[in-house]
This record gives sequence, C-alpha cells and structure tokens, in this order.
Amino acid sequence: MSVVMALWFRNLKLFVRNRAALVFNLIFPFFFLFVFGKIFQNDFIENPATYMLAGIIISTVFDSSLRMASSTIDDITSGFMKEVIVSPVSRLTIATGQFFAAATVSAIQGVIIFVAGFFIGLKITTPLTIIYAILLMVFVGLIFAGFGLFIATVSKNIQTFQAVSLAITMPMTFMSGAYIPISMLPDVLKWVAYFNPMTYAVSLFRTVTLEKTSLSTEQLVLEELAVKVGSFTVTPMMAFAILAAFGLVFLVLSTRAFVKIDFSRMNRNKEDSLTEEI
Amino acid sequence: MSQPIITVENFVKKYGGFTAVNNINFEVDEGHIFAFLGPNGAGKSTTISTLCTIFEKTEGRLTIDGKDVTTQKNDVRAAIGVVFQDSTLDKKMTVEENLKMHCVFYKVPKREVDERIQFVLKLVDLLEWRKKSVSSLSGGMKRRVEIARGLMHYPKVLFLDEPTTGLDPQTRAHVWEYVHKLQKEKNITIFLTTHYMDEAEICDKVAIIDHGKIIAHDTPFELKKQYTKDRAYITTLNPPALESLLNERGIRFIAKEKYHRIDVEDTAELLDVLAMCKEDIGDIEIRKGTLNDVFLELTGREIRETGEGA
Repeated sequence: MSVVMALWFRNLKLFVRNRAALVFNLIFPFFFLFVFGKIFQNDFIENPATYMLAGIIISTVFDSSLRMASSTIDDITSGFMKEVIVSPVSRLTIATGQFFAAATVSAIQGVIIFVAGFFIGLKITTPLTIIYAILLMVFVGLIFAGFGLFIATVSKNIQTFQAVSLAITMPMTFMSGAYIPISMLPDVLKWVAYFNPMTYAVSLFRTVTLEKTSLSTEQLVLEELAVKVGSFTVTPMMAFAILAAFGLVFLVLSTRAFVKIDFSRMNRNKEDSLTEEI
Repeated sequence: MSQPIITVENFVKKYGGFTAVNNINFEVDEGHIFAFLGPNGAGKSTTISTLCTIFEKTEGRLTIDGKDVTTQKNDVRAAIGVVFQDSTLDKKMTVEENLKMHCVFYKVPKREVDERIQFVLKLVDLLEWRKKSVSSLSGGMKRRVEIARGLMHYPKVLFLDEPTTGLDPQTRAHVWEYVHKLQKEKNITIFLTTHYMDEAEICDKVAIIDHGKIIAHDTPFELKKQYTKDRAYITTLNPPALESLLNERGIRFIAKEKYHRIDVEDTAELLDVLAMCKEDIGDIEIRKGTLNDVFLELTGREIRETGEGA
C-alpha cells in the first residue's frame, strides 16, 4: 500500500512541477467554453453555459487521464521502470499507483475548471454536489486511465501512443454530447454516441453537477441529460453501470498487458531500431 | 573458506531455436568481487538478467543466498542491488527523492531511511548534492547515485553491469574505490561485468564466457599462470653470443633490431643463460601476462574489439 502511495505522490509531484503543461491543458477547455458557450440553448435549458461547463470539465478529466499513460511510457523508456521491476514490488502495485495518480491529476484539473465555473453562473445548493462531482471525476479518471494504459501497452512507443490517443479522444469527445448536444448529431453519429462510454460519463456528470438528479426520466431526456436510444431511456443509474463495466474491463485488460509487457522492447522512438542499423 | 552466495547449475537459456547460454556452472563466494567477462552476445547479459529475475531460465538451477531465482523471485530481489549500464534513475526527481523511493520499494524501515541516505551519499561523495535534481548531475555523478541507490537496502549481492563504461579515468578510479570500500566494510558480494581488463585484474575471481559456455573460471593469478607466459625483452651488446646460448638450450626466441623476445617457460634456465653473458646485457624487462592475453588466448579476440558498451 505504501508503494502505491509513494508512486501516486511521485506522479503528483511531477504534475505540479510541470506547470507549463498544466497551463496548456487548461487553455483548451476555456477556449471551448467561449466558442461553444451558447450551443445548448433550447426551451428547456435555462443556463446553457453551465451545461457546457459540465461537459468541458468531464472531457478534460477524460482527456488528461487517458494521456497520463504517456508518463508511464516515459518511465519505461527513461529506464526508471527497470529499477522498479528488479525491486520486490509487484507490477500490479505499480499499475495501481499509476491509475490513482492519473485519476487524481485529472480530477485536480477538473476541479480547477469547476471553481472557474462559479464565475460564469454555476450555482449549487448543497456542498454535497461538490463531493459527488469530485468523486465522479476520480471515477471517470480511473476508468480512462485504464483505457489509456491499455492503448499505451498496445502502442509501445510515445509517438504511436500520442497519435492513437488523439485519434481516439477527438471523436470520443465530440460524439459524447459534451460540446455538441447529441440531438444535434446526424443519425449515424448518434449511433456512434450511443456506443461511446463518454456519452454516459457526460450525461451522468451533468445531471449531478447541475443538481438534476430528482428530475423524471422524461424531463432528463428533454434537458439533454439522459440518452434515449429508440424508445429506451438510459437512466443515470444505468449510465453509471455502463461506465463501471467499461472501466473494469479496461483496468483488467491494461493491468494484464502491463504485467506481461517486456519493457526492454519499448523504445522512446519508433525509429530507434532503424537508426541503429544504419 | 567462505560459502558460495551465488550458485549457477546447468543453466541453459534458449531464445526460440537459438541457445544463448549452453549449460553453464559456476559459484561466487560470499564477500568476493567476481568479474564476468565475455564478448558481446556471449551470454553475459542473459546470465545477469536471469540472476536479477528479469529473464526466465530455460533449464537449470540458479540461486542467490540460497533462494531460487525462479520460484522465490521476491526474496532474490530483496537480496540484490542492481546497477544497470543504462541509467535507471528518476531524472525529474532529486537525488534524495530517488533514494527515498528506493527505500519504499525495498521496505527499508522509515526511521533508518535518513541515516542510510547519509551513509550511502557519504560513501560516494555526494552529500552536498542530496537536494539537487538528478538531471543537473554529470554522467559520473549519476553513476555514483545509482551505486548509492543500489546499496540503500543493504543488499547481499550487488550487480554492476559495466559500472565504469563511459566514465573518465578519474571517476573510474573513484568508482572502484567505492566498490572496494563496500566490499571491506559491508562484506557485500560484487558481481560485475567490465571490458576494462585492468579492472578485472583486481577481482577475486574471473569467469570468461564465450558462445554460451564458460571457458575459464579462476583467480586472475591462476588464469594468467595457466594461459599466458611471461615475456623477457633482453637488450644485449653481443647478440650472437646470446643467441648461441639460447640455441644450445633449445629456448626459442624472436630477434628484433633492438632486443630479443623470449617466452619464458622455465625461469631458472633463463637465469642461467643470463648469468653466462651478464657482461653483455644492456637491459632486461620481464612482462607478466595480462588478463587481456588470457582473453586473447581463449577467445581469439581482444575484448575491446567487440565494440561493447560504446
């Protein structure tokens, strides 16, 4: 347990020391907030900016937790992971430490935007909302940290990982209802959204932060807070279950891949092996 | 007589159809400095990696401090310290943070951590660098931090893979100073690979591996005695006299412009010859065989030609 804590704390330190990256990570969310601020305007939604805000917060958590796997690749290519694997620490412990660090770091970024939200009209009536929101951010962060590490173990080097993760995060973000309401998507993309776990993360997080948990299912659908597939409505509880199942699958898959992976085969550059031959 | 702390019995390692290590046996005694030499691709790294529990063996039995490297991985890991050829430091962290993290991995009791950091940093002369970021250190200093870190958990065996490669002669000498200090003060067994033959000379035992087999394993002294001959370089004012004396006794020699070179088989006989023509002798130099000669004799190549480390 102390090893998990130590690895967690180390990654947090790395995050804090890298202030430039933090600033850049936060520029985009605010940019989106500005550009897409009014898109959620409809007869049932009173404050579209807060809708947008909730979507942006959870997308930021999603994006940064997924990308945190690149720091794991860094640890492998820099050689530090070799120090870890000859120590009596199990790889499962290492993976756990990385997951919790990723979840924490991404939740912190989410909280920063959340705080900024109070200045653009986000209102909460009970402090419990903050606690639920943070718990949800950590939950979503953990899920996509698993997904990210899985992509990392498949990619095997940082360039491929960056390309692949970008190719995955962009559509997952834009077809989740975070920036563009699902009802506005063409039919084909609607179906993509239904199979996108981020869709459920967005609707669940929005329902919680906007304190709409007491609304009826019909009302949730009208306010773009629940997804209706045909005549079937995915309730917030179901959304939670879908996310948990998705997270569990990828946490298990990525941990298994991480335990088995041969670190010596992972290179900093795709070209490393080529240049050696030349 | 000390006990063996590392035992390797009938160790075989195959990669697909290729046999990297072919049935090797050796032991390392506790408290010894043991050098493992061999050209690139000879099976050196495979053997070390298997002993350090990174690779799985194909066959055989390898133990460290009585623990099996396959079935008791974590016990073995706790008993060894490893310094790899490539840096494995956490570069964005400070020296102290690196050492502390190591203590967490190896479950060093919290109240001892500070004292141990003090001890190992003093040993490698880096006390004043404790709070500095690893990335601000020079190559030699980084290597010293790695050695210090490898010692934090007081391992019984310290593996050093090419510990001095890429270091300047002065730092090399320092690293060796630390290694000796360690061996004396903590009775740590040191298992190292090197391609500097002068470094192997000062080890207690040397094993030479080539094509997956151990072709020699003994003290540097015995190896040199067995595989090399002393060479005498004699400058004489009267070459024909010396040559006839040598021919009389059937001692083979090579005559060069300025000296005669003789491979010494029997020292007493050579002394006889020299006594008979001592008025003519201008200069005499006896060169002892080196481990490099041993290596050349056994493998047919010089260790440096293999382009190792680089």
